Amino acid sequence: MTPRHAFRVVVTVFCAVTLQGTVLLDVRIGGVHPDVMVLLPVAAGLAGGPAQGATVGFWTGLVADLFLPTPFGLSALVGTLVGFGVGASTAALDRTVWWLPPLVALVGSAAYELAYPLLGTVLGQPQMLHVPIADIVVLVGVVNAVLAAPAVRVVAWALPEASTEGLPTSSSTVAGWR
Amino acid sequence: MVASIAIITLDARGGFHRIASGLRSTSAGAFAPVRSVVNGIVEPIGSFLAGAVHYGAVRQENAKLRAELGALELRNAEGSDAAQALAQLKALSALDKLPYYANLTLEPAEVVNYGPSNFAATVTISVGRDEGATLGMPVVGEGGLVGSIVQANHNSAVVRLVTDGRSTVGVRYGPSPGSLAVVNGHGSGHPLSASLVPNDAPLKAGEVMTTSGLQGAIYPPGIPVAKVVSIRTGTSSSQESVALAPLADLARLRYVDVVLWGPPS
Repeated sequence: MTPRHAFRVVVTVFCAVTLQGTVLLDVRIGGVHPDVMVLLPVAAGLAGGPAQGATVGFWTGLVADLFLPTPFGLSALVGTLVGFGVGASTAALDRTVWWLPPLVALVGSAAYELAYPLLGTVLGQPQMLHVPIADIVVLVGVVNAVLAAPAVRVVAWALPEASTEGLPTSSSTVAGWR
Repeated sequence: MVASIAIITLDARGGFHRIASGLRSTSAGAFAPVRSVVNGIVEPIGSFLAGAVHYGAVRQENAKLRAELGALELRNAEGSDAAQALAQLKALSALDKLPYYANLTLEPAEVVNYGPSNFAATVTISVGRDEGATLGMPVVGEGGLVGSIVQANHNSAVVRLVTDGRSTVGVRYGPSPGSLAVVNGHGSGHPLSASLVPNDAPLKAGEVMTTSGLQGAIYPPGIPVAKVVSIRTGTSSSQESVALAPLADLARLRYVDVVLWGPPS
């Protein structure tokens, strides 16, 4: 990753943290708020493939962990898994279809919000299951699906061209999002 | 993935926990001005949009409040006794509802942020280490106990609410000297529960449980915690199943007080 792309990633993550820590925390429906930090690894996986999805998922998760009262490193772990999973599972798909980013954001966000409390429980935090998980999955998934298209474009702008070596990519790759 | 697991393990084992707390504290301090600036820009716009969207409801509420104000003014005018008016004002004051204030040193704080995580019931307040707030200090609001500080930054602190799944409060109830129990949180939106309440406990719906203040307890005695909502006796259980509602209005917290108190060593 070149310094220019590293700077772009930092700017993107900073904007996401600011958006999450200000506007989105006040948007509460049934006590649940949207989570745009979940969208970054999903968008990175979609725009840059599994390796960049995992990398962005790890670092954005680590940044998110700085502001969360949950175990330190948990968001980084889930972000890594989701970023990689999205990148690997969509590698062979035609990424130019308009409905792919919203659909992947919906499913990826839902997977993130389900894996988060489950892994938290494994790490000795069973109270993380005592929350309205269905509400969280639906709200975060739907909001991220709405924001998916612009998020993928921003992340594609920030990330360097992904390597497609060894991956069953479609004819339209990351460059299609730029 | 290995790096994530390593961080989690180190944090859980304690060695890295102090570093993680320091990083979190520094991040909170660094992000506070950004949040303040952005909120300063966004909040007026949000209020304008909310006002525009809910214009009809706001007008109706305004009319209702005007009618209530008129009725209250009429009632005040009818009351000839100044002491009666004073008593009414005192009743309106939150301080009047908190008798335990007398013996405790309090630091007022504003709730600046509601829980950043959907998986933990916490709030961020505007008072931190610089104002004397430290880890574990109780936080009270109008009505009763709000929670305790789990992260103290320079100028802010994170408060774990009594409804959080990790919250446990030792309480006392019933006639003096009172029976003991433990109130547990089960997440936002879920009622609290009381454990260690025997079947023959002198407990009834509406009864208020207060902090026990036993030796080594993390809360001083006498702070109202929650009100009993329902009691169910199981056929085979030796304990009552007690559901409670927190006395403090945790959904609408705006201002709270940090109790500058620590358990006696």
